[in-house]
Amino acid sequence: MKTPFTQRTPRKHIGQYRPRIDAEEKATGKARYADDLASKLRVPDLVYAKVLRSPYPHARIRSIDTRAALALPGVVGILTYDEPEVASLKVTSAGWTDGVDTVSYETMMWRRYKDRRVLGDYACWVGDEVGAVVAGETEAIAEEALRLLKVDWEVLPFVLESEEAMKPGAPVLHPEIAPDNVMPEDTVGGPHRFVDKGDVDKALAKAPVVVEGTSISHNATQSSLDPWCCVIEWKQGTQVTVWSNSYETDQSRMHISQMLGLPITRVRVVSPYVGGQFGRGDTGDQPFFLFTALLAKKVGRPVKFKHTRRESFHDGRQQATYTARVGAKKDGTIVAMEFKSIGNAGAHADHTMFALKFAPMELTEVALAHVPNVRFEAYGVYTNKMPACMMRGVGNSQTNLILGHMVDLLAEKLGMDPIDVAIKNFGHEWERLPNKSLTEVLHAGAKRIGWKEKRHQPGQGPTFEGTKKRGVGFSFHPGWHAEWQEVRRGEVQVGMTLNPDGTVTLDAPTVETGTGSNTCNVLGCAEALSFLGVTPADIHWVAVIDTNLSGKDCVQTDSAVSFLQSEVMAVAAKEMKQRVLERAARNLKAGIEDLDVAEGRVFFKKKPKEGKTIREMMMAGPLVGITVKLSRPPLAERTGVPFIVTFVEVEVDTATGRTQMLNMAVVNDCGTVMYASGAEAQQIGGQIIGVGEALTEEIIYDKPTGVPLNFNWIDYKIPTMADMPEIDPVLMEVWRGGGEYGACGIGEGTVTCAPRAILNAIYNAIGVRIDQIPVKPEKVLAALGKAGR
Amino acid sequence: MATSPIRITVNDRLYELLPGRDLEASTTLAGLLRERLGFTGLKISCDEGACGACTVLLDGKAVLSCMLLAVEADGHSVTTIEGLAPDHPVIEAFIEQSEPGYGTALQCGYCTPGFVMTTVAFLRQNPKPTLAEIKEALSGNICRCGCYAGIAQAVLHASEKLAARGGVA
Repeated sequence: MKTPFTQRTPRKHIGQYRPRIDAEEKATGKARYADDLASKLRVPDLVYAKVLRSPYPHARIRSIDTRAALALPGVVGILTYDEPEVASLKVTSAGWTDGVDTVSYETMMWRRYKDRRVLGDYACWVGDEVGAVVAGETEAIAEEALRLLKVDWEVLPFVLESEEAMKPGAPVLHPEIAPDNVMPEDTVGGPHRFVDKGDVDKALAKAPVVVEGTSISHNATQSSLDPWCCVIEWKQGTQVTVWSNSYETDQSRMHISQMLGLPITRVRVVSPYVGGQFGRGDTGDQPFFLFTALLAKKVGRPVKFKHTRRESFHDGRQQATYTARVGAKKDGTIVAMEFKSIGNAGAHADHTMFALKFAPMELTEVALAHVPNVRFEAYGVYTNKMPACMMRGVGNSQTNLILGHMVDLLAEKLGMDPIDVAIKNFGHEWERLPNKSLTEVLHAGAKRIGWKEKRHQPGQGPTFEGTKKRGVGFSFHPGWHAEWQEVRRGEVQVGMTLNPDGTVTLDAPTVETGTGSNTCNVLGCAEALSFLGVTPADIHWVAVIDTNLSGKDCVQTDSAVSFLQSEVMAVAAKEMKQRVLERAARNLKAGIEDLDVAEGRVFFKKKPKEGKTIREMMMAGPLVGITVKLSRPPLAERTGVPFIVTFVEVEVDTATGRTQMLNMAVVNDCGTVMYASGAEAQQIGGQIIGVGEALTEEIIYDKPTGVPLNFNWIDYKIPTMADMPEIDPVLMEVWRGGGEYGACGIGEGTVTCAPRAILNAIYNAIGVRIDQIPVKPEKVLAALGKAGR
Repeated sequence: MATSPIRITVNDRLYELLPGRDLEASTTLAGLLRERLGFTGLKISCDEGACGACTVLLDGKAVLSCMLLAVEADGHSVTTIEGLAPDHPVIEAFIEQSEPGYGTALQCGYCTPGFVMTTVAFLRQNPKPTLAEIKEALSGNICRCGCYAGIAQAVLHASEKLAARGGVA
């Protein structure tokens, strides 16, 4: 038994170690996902759709002859790019929103980079959905029909690497947006040099100590197990209904409504449980909703469109090459930081500038605020690779890879412990240094991993089994997101109904993607309504989100749903108390002012023993529940942010180049732990993505053809149980946010620090730095001068 | 293709299925179970034997149902997650895991039925496994939410429950 964390403020329900509320449904296989909702068995007139994907990295369709495909028995219909309903669709982006707020076509986040035609004739990567979508009685028939399409392709020259794409004469992908492939400056991300504080050049010139470094990340992909799927029924005169695993029902409805020119009331979006998310399609604005809907309209039958595993490699993290210079005084005080990044956007801009500018800008504000001279410069470049969009830890993962590198380099040059360099320099502009949260998470992590005992001079540790070297490393990052960072959500909606029997129906709409926020919500509801004697078992959380019935769903982004809705419940509970007292006054024929409610009983203030249980009082009638609905904006209180840190111990085999994870300690200052088992699951779970990105996962392209070679889980290697080390999840409550609980989102950030911590640990183990992830054995051998040939 | 019916027992019920009508030669066992028979507990995530989400028991042994043709199950007995008792020790252990330090044994739940079925077969072969044996046995299943630590605890606890009930999974 490991040591549980201790609550700063004891609570009745919040912060528990306990099973998830959906554990039984999921462990018995009864939980339903989008793919489970519709088959021919349940919906006999269902048809299956398959979309044409470009076999070339850069090509244009001259024409498509559909006759042979249409003649295939079982083909129900084909929708092509040149039909007026398709051709007239507005040019769009898959970067409408980062999920924090619902936006319109006009207010989409990256409106400068509308580079996506829905089912157009122009393909920018191998896999781009273009030209035609077919409906068949079975998936196999639809696939066969695709093969029978006679497509006349105009094959165009292509470019895969951003450095190549920036050179004059390189093939240009979107000339109307980026004539030189470099995404232009815009109002949201700002200029190329988007942070320029103080005088970086002067400070670097004068600094006694200057270090320079490079970090190169790659386009890892989310790899949710639940493939993107939708079933769309177009009922003329009533509604278009979309059952899907979109985790933004409100945004998806807005997107479909605006792109297809339908009133909001004519679009219904339903999302059941979603099998993992990790940022995939963060925006609810995917073109496949649109062409599936138009196909359903055309064939007059419900259409199912499910991505295959290969097709599920549709977007990922932005590959980015960061270079940096950092200047410091001899005592370790950093005087200047300069960062420059070149990011590979792939075929479509989507959220590339979120990663390259938006996230680093926030980092500057919340962590680098005490460094007097800071500069960030970023260039997003179009290439003919898989587009980069949103992935858990967007932008922060890439930025952490360079930030933790520079701290380690600087500490080494100064002869200091990198922990001390971090504590000396980083924190929010609203706080004084040293930052308490950063200090405590670093010290806790160091203790858990055995930092002092295990750390040695780079490469100078003992050798195990003849060829194996061990090392430790860490990386830290500001946590996100505190409530003030969620203000863009506008309002968070929650409804609570106290039923006549004393149970509670909770309408805290959010699509459950696995994060456990549903359990947080139930614990938050029980905490808020504990005066009614309500326990988690009395609360029913509505799992299926349906825009016809639900309020606006609070989107599972920034991991912030874990506390945002609970904060609203804490306020709504006050109104609930008033309403319960009003009902009790009627039932007990007393004045409200004479009554009080606590511990599940309504009683007379002057005679506390006289009264009724909530159930008795409510069942006395009228048998109508009491519903309180509340919309409330997130609090803008300026609380700063907490910090997170990951410490790792690795073992590198200098003979084979293989890196094995030995131990990890993942430390999160949560403000308040809303649900301990769920928070730990996020801390532990995030490491599969962090470790995978650092060591084994990588999309590999065939350079002569531009074809991605490993869109499958045999060659794109996700860590298994045997690959993952012991992980020590450390929950802390040091910092405090706004509101009743003062919590923050922790789940997304848990992936951020692992790759840099691993690179630093590898350096500690073998004494040679490797700047590029993933660290596959060949890179280690090359770094050790053992690559051969 | 043979036109005589094939017979597959699923969760103790016998199904007689006619090729051409109920299934094609190319229909996988996973496809048949989900699309034709409605057993949607198993998931088709990779459809190529890489993730384990479609794991079912064939005559008591764990198999990847996306890698078997339905006709290959002719004359055999299949158990899907729907065929396990709701109080099955493995299911209970996956539900209950919240021992501090290990997180939960599931998050999104998409891989869970596959992990449960793999565990059921594994504990039949090895009722008292070590952690290393568990890691080896379950590394054919992918959990992208990364709940491996919680899953391993659940398997240990399931083993204890089985021993306490004196039975076989």
